[in-house]
Amino acid sequence: MNAHSTIVPDDLSRLSDAELRKLENKIARKYSGKVPWLAVFWAFGNLAVWLSLWPLVFSGVLSLWAAFPIATINMALVYLPTHEAQHDIIARPGTKLRWLNELVGHATSWMLIYPFEVLRVTHLDHHRHTNDPDLDVDISSKANGPWSAIWMSIKGRQPGAKRNKDYAAAIIRAGRPELLLLSMLYKVGHIAILGTLAWNGYALEAFFLWWLPYQIAITYIVFFLSWAPHHPFAEQGRYRNTRSWRSKLGNIGSMGMQFHVVHHLHPYIPLHLTPAAYWEMKPILEARGCRIGL
Amino acid sequence: MERALKLFMAALPLVFAFAFLVPVIDQGMQAVNLAAPFGLSTLTFAMIVGGTWGLIAQTTGRWL
Repeated sequence: MNAHSTIVPDDLSRLSDAELRKLENKIARKYSGKVPWLAVFWAFGNLAVWLSLWPLVFSGVLSLWAAFPIATINMALVYLPTHEAQHDIIARPGTKLRWLNELVGHATSWMLIYPFEVLRVTHLDHHRHTNDPDLDVDISSKANGPWSAIWMSIKGRQPGAKRNKDYAAAIIRAGRPELLLLSMLYKVGHIAILGTLAWNGYALEAFFLWWLPYQIAITYIVFFLSWAPHHPFAEQGRYRNTRSWRSKLGNIGSMGMQFHVVHHLHPYIPLHLTPAAYWEMKPILEARGCRIGL
Repeated sequence: MERALKLFMAALPLVFAFAFLVPVIDQGMQAVNLAAPFGLSTLTFAMIVGGTWGLIAQTTGRWL
């Protein structure tokens, strides 16, 4: 926090709009451009742990009841590394480690039964149209309170849900109709794997290692990554469409989303550096009229 | 292939019910030693419950 006094002047009211923006970008650049190896190890470590649960449970080394909470944590942890890859944070196009960025994205997103490119296209669309009632793919997360948010998340996974249509519309808008077919293949593949396991006597293993952890994790992810940082989904515009807020579960328990305002302003900053960038940028965010809760 | 996939997707709730939900109910009942009513086997019971639930989801677009 001391660092901000060296860059940000005490009186920001004397700065022009362009000077404020320059200062904001200078701070953002300070926290970007390095490979977030934490996200890379997180991605593959999490994948390895979840995959290892299957032989451990099948062989009787680990009970299903012990594996179930681990699998649920694994599922909840899948999204953030792929999110880093969606924003090219691990490596930008044309750089030496670009393959790693894409590998992280593809190697992890399938656990959530989404092709990486679908997550990328729809999430970038969310950034373009945040809180737009017609165009934001995540607008169906809008809810009056936390319990209502959980219910909306469950509703969003029903076969006829608005969220499915919003995602499909974003894919079409992006000119990537082939991704609709790929999404279908992922869903068919998922049911084929679950069904094969189930009809071969492993229904409960498939249920408690993948299906139920997935449902719990998606509820948690939508709550903390979509509902909480954008609540009440009322305003649009660069400095008002998301916020900083205090989570009862803390920053780790809410997957770093307390500082979501910085992510929307500068989505190329790695997740683990977002809090530091926030604290340094906070006087500028206040001067911009951001919704500050921390 | 695309047409077949779309047809499959259109029937996804029913497919999910018979591919996964039915064996989950069947094996879940067996795991907790729960007998099916009316002298039915757990698999038959699971077919009735899972199939009906899948049909409702297929028709209404909602599992819940």
